[in-house]
Amino acid sequence: MVTELPDLTDQMKAAVGSTGPTVTYEVTTLGIRTFARAVGYRNPIYYDEAEAKAKGHPALVSPPGYYGMPVFNPLQQQARGPRASFDTPFKRNLNGGTEVEPLAPVYAGDVLEAVTTLANLTLTKGRMGQMLIQTSETVYTRKSDGKVVAKTRGTGISY
Amino acid sequence: MAQVYWDDVTEGQEIPALDEEMSSQRLVVWAAGSGDFYQIHFDDNFAKGNNLPDIIVHGALKGMLIGRALDEWVGDAGRIVQWGVSYRGMDPARQNINVWGKVTKKYEADGEGRIDLEVGCAQPNGTQTTPGTATVMLPKRA
Repeated sequence: MVTELPDLTDQMKAAVGSTGPTVTYEVTTLGIRTFARAVGYRNPIYYDEAEAKAKGHPALVSPPGYYGMPVFNPLQQQARGPRASFDTPFKRNLNGGTEVEPLAPVYAGDVLEAVTTLANLTLTKGRMGQMLIQTSETVYTRKSDGKVVAKTRGTGISY
Repeated sequence: MAQVYWDDVTEGQEIPALDEEMSSQRLVVWAAGSGDFYQIHFDDNFAKGNNLPDIIVHGALKGMLIGRALDEWVGDAGRIVQWGVSYRGMDPARQNINVWGKVTKKYEADGEGRIDLEVGCAQPNGTQTTPGTATVMLPKRA
């Protein structure tokens, strides 16, 4: 049982509105197919490049909500988002929700730059005791043409 | 599948539901596809050690299943404008998830035909775990 916070700490209040580092995401054919397979898509534009091109797309199409994977490199320190910019007594985290706003088609070969802003922090009480609700917004911009391809909003629950 | 047109949609109408098997193998494929390797989703002992009855379905997978139901409904000529869901309840793996959507509003915006929907995921016993909303664009008949 963690000690209850009477209010958000000054450090938490200062973190609201802050922006994390730019994270590079690669959208690859392998990534698209694995995502599409897990979600159960049957549409060939997510698996077969020739079928995607026959439908007028320049490459394999990324399904809604898939913006690739952050480039993993164990030799570099992992980029930490704005949620990590304050100390917190809460040890456990749950994914509270997802909102997706697709703004332009995304294709295999795209490299996206994602920037996450901590939109809000709220302390509430739930079944599991005190909880910290964190909402953040991520904007994905395609590196090749500077186009914003999607915005996502996430809710994290720490308790 | 035949293209759905805005003109033919009525408020209260349901979109085709998905009935998806959430096997442990499926969750491992999702872990690979999403990069979420948290062990409560594939390691029985780890999940039980966290006071869970069984491994549980990733919230984000449920969110993306709703995205798929919308994507398949709007077809090639339609577009998802936005969708959002809340992960209110946990879904144990090794049972099916029913993914559904229902039209709540039909209107025009920015010169396009728009549809608002209520969406969600339900367990086989009917428990709703993942309520949400969506907006899509559907083409109009010429």
